[in-house]
This record gives sequence, C-alpha cells and structure tokens, in this order.
Amino acid sequence: MSDKLRRIVFGSLGFGIVLLIWEIAGRKLGNALFAPPSAVALEYVDLIRQGDMLRQLTGSLQQMVVGFGAACIIGMPLGVAMGRSRVADAVARPWVSMFVVTSTATLVPLFILILGTGFALRVTIVFLSSVWYIALTAYNGARGVSPMQIAVARSFGAGVLQTFWKVTLPAIYPYLLTGARIGLVHAIRAMVLAEMFVIIGYGGLIHRAGLQIDTAPTLALLITLMIVSLLLNGLLGLAGRLLAPWYEQQRVTT
Amino acid sequence: MTLAELTSRAAAAAPNPSTKLAIRDVTKIYRRGGKELTVLENFSLDIAELEFLVLLGPSGCGKSTLLRIIDGIETCNIGQVILDGKDVTNTTGDGRGMVFQSFELFPWRTVLANVAFGLEVNGVGKAERLAIAQEYVDLVGLSGFENSYPHELSGGMQQRVGIARALAIKPSVLLMDEPYGALDVQTRDLLQDELLNIWEKQRKTVIFVTHSIEEALYLADRIVVMTPRPGRIEQIIDVPFPRPRRDTLKSTPEFLEMRRSIWSTLRKGAHV
Repeated sequence: MSDKLRRIVFGSLGFGIVLLIWEIAGRKLGNALFAPPSAVALEYVDLIRQGDMLRQLTGSLQQMVVGFGAACIIGMPLGVAMGRSRVADAVARPWVSMFVVTSTATLVPLFILILGTGFALRVTIVFLSSVWYIALTAYNGARGVSPMQIAVARSFGAGVLQTFWKVTLPAIYPYLLTGARIGLVHAIRAMVLAEMFVIIGYGGLIHRAGLQIDTAPTLALLITLMIVSLLLNGLLGLAGRLLAPWYEQQRVTT
Repeated sequence: MTLAELTSRAAAAAPNPSTKLAIRDVTKIYRRGGKELTVLENFSLDIAELEFLVLLGPSGCGKSTLLRIIDGIETCNIGQVILDGKDVTNTTGDGRGMVFQSFELFPWRTVLANVAFGLEVNGVGKAERLAIAQEYVDLVGLSGFENSYPHELSGGMQQRVGIARALAIKPSVLLMDEPYGALDVQTRDLLQDELLNIWEKQRKTVIFVTHSIEEALYLADRIVVMTPRPGRIEQIIDVPFPRPRRDTLKSTPEFLEMRRSIWSTLRKGAHV
C-alpha cells in the first residue's frame, strides 16, 4: 500500500516538474514556437467543444482497427507457422525481416499511386506497419515452446492437432498478446503518418494545425493521441489478463 | 545376508505369463554432428505384473532414456517394447502414464484441468473427466487446490499434481522419471511415503528411475542397477524388506548394509 502511495506521489511529482518546465519554456518562447500548457489547456477545451477532433479521431481509429485486425489475423498465424515449420521459416522469414526494418513512410507515396488516398490506403499502411512486429513476436514465442511440454502431450497420447491446440497455442498465447500490443502502437503511428500524407482524418487535422502560427492546437491534438494510444494499449493488456489470469501472476511471482 | 544371495543376473528369457512389460534388445544410438553415442545396447528386461521396479544408476547410464523409450516419447533404433503382450515400440499412449522430473505441468491449466489432461486428449467427456480428476486430486491430498494454477503451488504440491495426472488415466504401467529429483530432502521423504501409501491402495506396475540408492531400496521390489556407456544391467537386486514399509526402515542395519553394498557396486562402475 505504501509502495503504491509512493508511486502515486513521485509519479505526480515528475509530471508536475515537466509541466512546470514546459510552462516556463512555453512562456519564454511564445505560442508561435512552443505553446505553454496553460494555452494548450484552453485550446483543448475549445477543440472538444468544436467536436471536430473527436469526430476525426473516431473515424481514423475505425480504419486503424480494420488494418490492425487484419495484421493480427495474418501476422499471428504467419509467425506461428514460421516458428513451428522449417519450410515456412525459410520461405517467409527473410521477407518479414526485411519489411520490419523498412520505414513505412517510404511506402506511402508508392501506395498512393496504387490505392489512391482513401480507405484502402490507410488500412494498407496500418496493416504493413504492424503485421511484421506481430508476426515476429509470435515467431519467437512459437520457437520457444518447451519440447518437454510437447513430449508430455505426446506421452498422454495426444495427436498432432490436439498437441497444437492444447499445448503449443496456449504456450504461445503470451507472445501473441505482446505482439498485438507492439503492433497496436505501430498501427496508431502509421495511421497518423498515412493521414498526414493525404491530409485526411486525424493526421490531416494535425497536419493543418501544424501550418498555423499557433502551436497550441498541434500540441493539444498530440496529447489526445498519446492518451488514446495508452488507453488502447492498456485495454489490450487488460483483455489479456482476463483471458489468461495465469500469465501475469506467473510473471510477478517467478 | 550377502549381496550374492540377493543378486541375480539379467536373463532375457522367453516371456513368461506373469510378464507385464518386456523390453527386448533395445538399442539407442544418438547421432550428433557425425559422432555416434551408444546410450543403450541390446538392453533386455522383464517386468512382472504389479511389480515396483526401480532403475538405479549414475547420470548418463541411460536409465531415463530407457524410461522415455518405454513411454514412447523417445524412439529406439533397434528392439521392442511389449506391454500386455502388445508391441508398443515407438508409440505413445496405450496405458502408459508418465511422471516427469521437472513436473512439466501446463501453467495455463488449473490443477484440476492439468489432472484431467490425459483423459481429455483420450476423448473422455467433460463431466466424467472432471469427476475422475477430482478423485485423483483428493487421492494425492490436494483437495481445495483444484482451481489453483501450478505457479501458486510448492514444488512438492506440483509433483503431486504430476502424479495425479499420470494416475488419472488409470495407467497399466506407471512410469516415474526421477520424480523427486528436483525436490528438497524432507519433501522427497514425505512424497516417497505418500507414493507407497497410494501404491498399497491401488497396486500398479511401476517403473521408477532414480540415482538415489536409499530411495531405490525404500520403494522397490526389485532394483536394476545400471552402469553407463553403453547403459547396461550391472546387477538385479531383490529387495527383501516386507511391506508396508515405514520411514524407520531406512535406519535399520539391514537397510544400511544393502545401501553400502550397492554403493560399492556403483562406485566400481564409476571407475570403469
């Protein structure tokens, strides 16, 4: 309990210090260069009242979810296959390893030519920026499944499919979850990136705000994005804990 | 009592009617990087119905490999494993229940679901398998921990789950691979007594692997002493102590004398 209290006290203290430095720096530099928190807060209330920020955000997140969902549906089985089958590993992993280090930003202009500037572009960019992380994390999990646990399943007479569903998959589950959380962060970043290129949605909003003389709206939009990212990431973690109560507890005790 | 009187040499004779499990000329060769390592060579042994047999030997003598071959999770290059007259070489299942040294419980399953695992993969319906699992959870003294996860239990309790999981499939033969090797001495002694209690209640053919002479003498009807490279039978010892056995047996002169003589046999083997 005192540990928790200490975390809260020092956490808010750190938060306060940063806000204070920001406020001082912001007042020195002025709104045009670096708006202080007081100005951003006023702007924030304004943006929420106008309603455009949240409306655009909801719209953008919906498209992000489509791309991210597709990345999970493709990336997870791909990673598991690479981790469990030498053939799949040899065929797919060189490509996955190459794409994971490729900057998504360089792909956007290319895909604008192919897909235009609408729904398909945004979903594709989100998909391409997150699927490799999801696949590689699943791959590492699949490779790490204990051969002894597989042997236990076989010892009790489990067939290949039973072993996969009842042992391999549950053993990989924590990695699938971690992969999804890493993938989600990349998906949200890619969403904004793609939208800034074609000036649409929430990224478009940020882009247009960046052209103004006042930096307060840009900073307000950034803060909202940070909060939403953290919130979604936390939600995914919570879902994981509910689905696999043994996992988090195990990490804490061992 | 001299050791010679208690000792009889292994004889791979024709299977006699009381033979539960026959191991015939089993050879296991590991190939790693072009090198060959013969772990077992022409190993033969008959295990009688309801016998408690202990495979005893130093690490590297192939006793665990032999047990894994009997279970079928390891394949042998040559030879046969015949259980209840049926050739079960290089297959798993068929009434073999295995208890593993490092427990190997599934961390995502509760105690009850772990115990029910063998029944589940063999197609036993949910209500039935959970009822049977509960029976065995009770038998190993874990009532009240059905819904705990393995990481919430001590090592001794985890191995009780491992034993319940193997017993729940009502195995024709129970295979135990150094089941107490990862536990402290007190827990080990306690679990030996519990195992003997369970065994008195539900007699079964047991093959138990250990490197502890004391454990072997305390539990076994018959001890197969093995020596390494390649693993072969050094001697077979009939353990004369009556059952039920109690912990006090371990400090009797007869027990200590047998322990000493087995130790000198093993030490001789270690010099070879």
